[in-house]
Amino acid sequence: MELTLTSRILYSLLGLFIVFNYGLLQSGVMRKIVARVAGRYGIPVYQSYFDIIKNLAKRSQITHGIMFYLGPIFRLGGGIGLFLFMPMIFGSIYFKNFSFTGDIVLLMYFQFFGMLGMALGAGEAGHPNSTIGISRGLAQFTTVEISFTLAIIAIAIQYQTLSVYNIVAAQQGGILHWTLFQNPVATLAGMLSFLGIMRHAPFNVVMAPQEIPIGPPTEYHSTYLGMLQSNRAILHIVESALFMNLFFGGATNWIEFIVKTFFIYFTTVFVGVVFPRYRVDQSVAWFVKVPLVIGVLGVIYATYIN
Amino acid sequence: MVNPIYIIAILLGLGFLLPSINKAGIKVTVTIFFLGIIAVTAISYQWLSAFLIDGQQAVQIFTAGFKPPMSINLQMGLNEAVLITLINFGALLGAIYSFKYFAENGIQALVVFLLFILGMNGLVLTRDIFNIFVFLEITSIATYILIGMDLRLKSLSAGFKYMIAGGIASVFLLLGIILIYSKTGTLNLDGMIAAVSAAGSSQILFVGVFILIFSVVIELKVFPANGWALDVYEGSDTGISAMISATSATALLFVLYKVLPLASIDLTKMIVIIGVLTFVVSNLFAIMQKSTNRLLGYSSIGQIGLLVFVIASKDILGDNFEKIFFGLLISHFLAKAGLFWLSGIVKAEKIQDWVKIKKHPILIFMFGTFILALMGFPPFPSLAAKWSLVMILAENGSFLWISLVILASILEVLYLFRWFGYILKLEDSEEKVEKPQHQLHPVYIVTLLLYVAGFYITRSFDAGLSINFIPLAFVGILFLIDFLPVYIKNTLVMIAVSYYGYILVPGLDTLKLIFALIFLVGGILTFIPGYSVKGKRIGFYPVAAMMYVGLIGLIEAETFFQFFFAWEIMTAGSYFLILRGKRSMSHALSYILFSAGGAYLILFGFALSGAETGSILLTSLSEVHIYATMVFILLALGFMTKTASIGLHIWLPGAHAEAESDVSPMVSAVLLKAGVFGLIILFIAMRNNDVSNLFYILGWVGAITALLGNLIASFQEDAKKLLAYSSIAQLGYILFALAIMTNVGWLAAIWYSITHFLYKALLFLAVGAIVLKLKTHKMYEMGGLIKKMPMSFISVLIGIIALSGVPPLAGFGGKWLLYNAFILKGWYFQGAIIAFSGVVAFLYLFKLIYSIFLGPIKDKHRKMTEVSVWYLIPQYLIIATLMVLSSKPRMILEKVGLYFKEILPENTVVWNGDAASTFVNGKLFGVWDPFYIMIIVCVMFAVLLGFLLFASRKATKVEMFNIVYSAERPESPQTAHFSYNMFSHYRKALGFLVLPLVTNFWNFITDLFHSSSDFFRKFYNGNAQVYIMHIIGFVVFFYFILNGGIF
Repeated sequence: MELTLTSRILYSLLGLFIVFNYGLLQSGVMRKIVARVAGRYGIPVYQSYFDIIKNLAKRSQITHGIMFYLGPIFRLGGGIGLFLFMPMIFGSIYFKNFSFTGDIVLLMYFQFFGMLGMALGAGEAGHPNSTIGISRGLAQFTTVEISFTLAIIAIAIQYQTLSVYNIVAAQQGGILHWTLFQNPVATLAGMLSFLGIMRHAPFNVVMAPQEIPIGPPTEYHSTYLGMLQSNRAILHIVESALFMNLFFGGATNWIEFIVKTFFIYFTTVFVGVVFPRYRVDQSVAWFVKVPLVIGVLGVIYATYIN
Repeated sequence: MVNPIYIIAILLGLGFLLPSINKAGIKVTVTIFFLGIIAVTAISYQWLSAFLIDGQQAVQIFTAGFKPPMSINLQMGLNEAVLITLINFGALLGAIYSFKYFAENGIQALVVFLLFILGMNGLVLTRDIFNIFVFLEITSIATYILIGMDLRLKSLSAGFKYMIAGGIASVFLLLGIILIYSKTGTLNLDGMIAAVSAAGSSQILFVGVFILIFSVVIELKVFPANGWALDVYEGSDTGISAMISATSATALLFVLYKVLPLASIDLTKMIVIIGVLTFVVSNLFAIMQKSTNRLLGYSSIGQIGLLVFVIASKDILGDNFEKIFFGLLISHFLAKAGLFWLSGIVKAEKIQDWVKIKKHPILIFMFGTFILALMGFPPFPSLAAKWSLVMILAENGSFLWISLVILASILEVLYLFRWFGYILKLEDSEEKVEKPQHQLHPVYIVTLLLYVAGFYITRSFDAGLSINFIPLAFVGILFLIDFLPVYIKNTLVMIAVSYYGYILVPGLDTLKLIFALIFLVGGILTFIPGYSVKGKRIGFYPVAAMMYVGLIGLIEAETFFQFFFAWEIMTAGSYFLILRGKRSMSHALSYILFSAGGAYLILFGFALSGAETGSILLTSLSEVHIYATMVFILLALGFMTKTASIGLHIWLPGAHAEAESDVSPMVSAVLLKAGVFGLIILFIAMRNNDVSNLFYILGWVGAITALLGNLIASFQEDAKKLLAYSSIAQLGYILFALAIMTNVGWLAAIWYSITHFLYKALLFLAVGAIVLKLKTHKMYEMGGLIKKMPMSFISVLIGIIALSGVPPLAGFGGKWLLYNAFILKGWYFQGAIIAFSGVVAFLYLFKLIYSIFLGPIKDKHRKMTEVSVWYLIPQYLIIATLMVLSSKPRMILEKVGLYFKEILPENTVVWNGDAASTFVNGKLFGVWDPFYIMIIVCVMFAVLLGFLLFASRKATKVEMFNIVYSAERPESPQTAHFSYNMFSHYRKALGFLVLPLVTNFWNFITDLFHSSSDFFRKFYNGNAQVYIMHIIGFVVFFYFILNGGIF
C-alpha cells in the first residue's frame, strides 16, 4: 500500500514532531548526564524547551543582511531535509518519509546544505570569530568524511546497495545481521567519524562552547537562535538515526528507535566527557591517520567477505 | 618558352653593361637593374606555370650545341622552376628592400647583386659539377662583397669569416671534383652518378665523394661547422642576411639534392644524422640567445638542418618528398626573409627591444605570421609538411628521428613564443619605429604569400584536401576589419558562431552534439561581456574566433590530419587570447609549451597508428594492436596536457588566472573540454585494444588530480587562481569518470563536462567582472560586497552550490553518478579519494564567497556599484539553464546513456519518470529523483522563510561593525576580515600533500635546457681560427667515423 502525497506529508510532519521533541528531551538528558559527571546538579531535562520559547519570544532582533537572514533557514532546512530523506522506522509505510527520492549519497551531500548556508549567514554578520569557527569546522569536517565515506563504501560493497532502506533491510533477522557484527571494522570507522560529525569533545573546538566565543551560533540570537536550536535537536536525532540505519540494524518501531539512537548519541557524549579537546590541525591530522586506516581495513574486509 | 639560358645571359650581360649604362644616369641604371630582375623572375614564373598548369615535361638545355660531356647542360624541371622562381622573386623583393643599402654603395652593389642572383640560378639549373663550383664561387664572392660593403666592424669581420669558411669549402669541393673526375672521367653530374655507382668500391672515389658532399654540407652551415655562419647572420646587414638565409640556402640545398645520389648509403645516413643534429642543437642554442639577428641565424640554421635531413631521407619519403621539402622550404624561405627584413625595420638589437612594435598591430601580425609559419602551425605549408614527414618516418620505424624533430620543434616554440611574449608584454619603450615603405612592401608580400602558399600546399597533400578553410577565412576577415568598434565585431562574431551552429548541429550525433553545444553556446555566452568593452579591442576578435574555429574543427574532424589541424588552430588562438592578460607573459609561454608538447605527442601517436593500420581515420585507432600501448599513452598524454592532469597542470593556474575577465571563462569552461573530447574519442576507439591497465592508471591520475587540485585551491589568495585550481580538480573528476569505462561512469563524465562548463563559466564571469572592477585578484582585499553587488552574489552562490554538489542543484547529479560508477566498478580507494576531494572543495568555495562578498566591506569599496550588465546577462542565462538541468537531468542523461549503451553496456542508469536508478543483478543499487528533491527542498525552504519572515518582521537592520569583538568594536575592516591564509590549520596538517614537486620538476627540466644551451654555445667563441678548426675537425671526425665502418 502506498500513501497518498498528502498523508505522506502529514505522517512526515508527525515523525518530525516526534523527532523534534525527542531531540529536545534527549539533549536535556545528555546535558544532565554531563553535569553529573562533572559533579554539578545540572539543568532540568526540559530546559531546551524553555530556551527555545525564550528565544522565539525575544522582543528585540537585528539583522545584518539577507544572507545573515537566510543562514538559519538553510541550517534548519538542512536538518529537516535530512529527516525527510531518511527512512525512520523500517517496515513502516508511515515513517519512511521521502527516502525513496534518494540514497545515502543524497544524505551525505545534504549534510552540507545546512552547513554551507549557516557558514554564509554567519559570515555576513562580519564577526571574524564566527568565520574562524567556520574555517575550523569545514576543515575538520572534510577529514571526518574520509572514514565515513570508506565505511559507506564498505556497506555498499557488502549489501550491494546505496539505498538506506535496503541497507536496513539487509540487516534484518537478528542482532548478528547488523553491520556492527557483519563488518565491525567499518562500523568502527563510521563511529569514529560520527564523533566528528556530532562535534562533541574532543572535536568541538569548531563549535561554540561557552568558554570560547567562536563559531556561527555566537552571531545569532532570538528567533534565529531558536531555529538553530530546533535544528540541533532534530539533527542530532537524524544523524544518530542515520548511523543506526547503517550500522545497527535500523529500527522497526519508535521504542527501538529511541533506545538505539539514545545509545548511539550517548557514545559521543561519553567520549566527549572522557577526552580533552583537540586543536583543529590536530583533529584533522588524527582523522587522516587512525580512522582512515580503519576505514581502509573496513573496505578490504567487506571486499574479502563478499 | 624562353630558354632558361637567357636567365644567365640577362644577369651576366647586365652585370657587365650596368657600368656603361650608368653614364645615362642613375635612374636609368636602377630601372634597368630592376627590369632585369623582373625579367628573370618572369621567365622563371613562365616555366613554373608551364609545369604546373600545362603539364610541361622537364627539358635539358645544351649549351654551345654539344651534348655532355662535351658541353655544359642545364636542366629545367618542376623542381628547378619552383626554386628559381622563389629565388628570383625573393631576390626582387630583397632588392627592393635593400635598395637604400645598395644606393649608398653605388652601382657596384647593383652589379654584385646581379651576380649573386646569377650564381644562385646557375647552382639550381646546371647539371655540370664543375659548373656548380663556378657558380658557387660566384655566389660566395658576391656574398662576401655584399656583406663587406657595410663598413661596420661586425659586418667586415663577418664577411671575412665567410670568405675563409667559403674558401675552405671551395677547396674541398674542388678536391672532391678532381678525385671523382680522375676515376669517372666526366664532369657531367648524371654521367658522374652513373659512373660512381658502376665503379664499385674505390678508396679514391670514396674520398672524393666524401669531400665533395661535405663541402656542400659546410656551405649549408650545419652543426658544428657553422660558428662563422652565426657571425655572418648577426653581423651582416639584415637585407643580406635575409638573402643568405632564404635564397642562397635554397640554392645550396638544391645542390646537395643534386650531388647526394653520388653518396653511398652510409654517407647518406651520416647526412641524415648531421641534419637532425643541426636542427636540434641550433634550436637548443637559440633558447638562450638574446640578440635578434643571431637568434634568427640559429633559427635559420636549424631549419636548414631539418631540410638537409629531409633531402638525405629522400628515399624513405618517396613520392611525398617534393611536397614535404617544398612545404618546409617555402615556409622557411618566406618567413625567414620576412623576419630578417622586419628586424631591419625594427632595428632592435636585443629581442626584448622589439617591444617597441607593441603599438603597431600590423607589424605584430606579420611577426606572428612568420613565427607560426616557422613552427608549423596551421594554415602554413610547414604544418602539412611536418605532418607528412612524421607520418612517413613512423611508417619506417624511425622513432628516434621523430623524437628529435619533436624535441627541436618544442625548443623552437620556446624561444619564438617567448620573443612574441616580450613584444606584447614587456614595458613599452619610448623608441619609435620608422616604417620606410619600400622596406615594408616586401614584408607585406611575403606575409600574404605565406597564406596563399599555405592554402595551396596544404591542399596538395592528400590529407589536406579535407580541410575546411572557410572558417579560417572568416578569421582572416576579422583581422582585416579589426579597425571597427567592438560592438560591431562582437555582434558579427556572435552571429557567425550561431550561424555555424545552425548549420552544424543538425547532422551531429549525441556525443558531438553535446560538445558542439558546449563550444558554441560557450562561445556566445562568453562573447556577450565583450559589449562592455569600449574602443576597438584590437586583436581580440580574430584570435578568439580562431580558438572557436579550432574547437568546432575538432567536432567536425574525421581524419587524424583534420583533428590535428583544428587542434593547432585552437592552441594558437587560445595562446594569443591568454597572452592578452596583463601579467600573463610567462603563463602564456608555459601554456603554449605544454600545448605544443601535447600536440606533438598527439602527432606522434597518430603517426604510429597510421603506420600500423595504414588508415587516416580517427576511428582506425581501434585497429591498432602492435603499438596500442604506445599510441594510447602518447595520445592520452597529449590530451591530458589540455585537461591539465596532475604533472601536466602547472601552466593552467597562471594562464587562467591572468587572462582577461571574459577570456578566463573561455579558456576554462570551454577550452578545457577539448581535452575531454579528445580523451573520449580516444577511449571509445581504443577501448578494446588491451589497454585496460592504462585506464586503471588514468583512474588514479584523475583521482589524485582531483584531490591535489582542490587542496591547492583551498590555499589560494587569488580568486581567479582559486577557480583555476578548481578547474584542474574538476577535470580530474572527468578523467577519473572516463577511465572507469562503464556506462554510468561516462554519464558522470559527460554530466561533469556540461555542469562544469556551466558553473565554471558562471563563477569565472562573476568573479572576473568583480576583479575587473576592483582591480585586484586578492580576495583578502575584497570583502563585504554582497550589499554592493547582490546580483553577482547570487551568481556566485548558485555557482558554488552547484559546484560543491549540494542537492538540489545539478552538481549533485555528478556526485551521485560518480559514487554509483566507482562502487560498481570496484575502484573503492580511488573513489574514496574522489569523494574526499569533493568535500575539500567546500573549503575553497566558502573562502571564495565569504572573502569576496561577506564580512566587512573595505573603505575604498564603499561606493562600489554592481558589475556591468553585460557580464550579468550571460550569468543569469547560465543560472536559468542550471536550474532546468538540476530538476530535469533526464533530458540529457537518458540520451547520453543510450548513445553509450552500445559502446559501454555495463552499469546503465534506468529512468522512471524523473528518477534515475542503478541496479546490480536486478536489485536496486542507487536511486536519485532530482525533480522530487528539488520540490521538497524548495517547499521546505519557502515554509521556513515564511516562518522567519513572520517571526522576525520587526528585526532592526544594523550597519557593519555593529558587533563586539574581543569586547571592542572593530574600526577597520581589515582587522575583522578573516580571509588571508584562512585554512592555515589545514595546511599545517595536510600541507605536505601540496609541496610544489611538479613545479620543481619542470623548473629543473627548463633550467637543464637553458643551462646546457648557455654552456654549449660557448663553443662558438667568435674567433675565425677556431671556426676553421671546427670545420676541419668536423670533416676529419666524420671521415674517420665513416671510414671506420661504424655505419
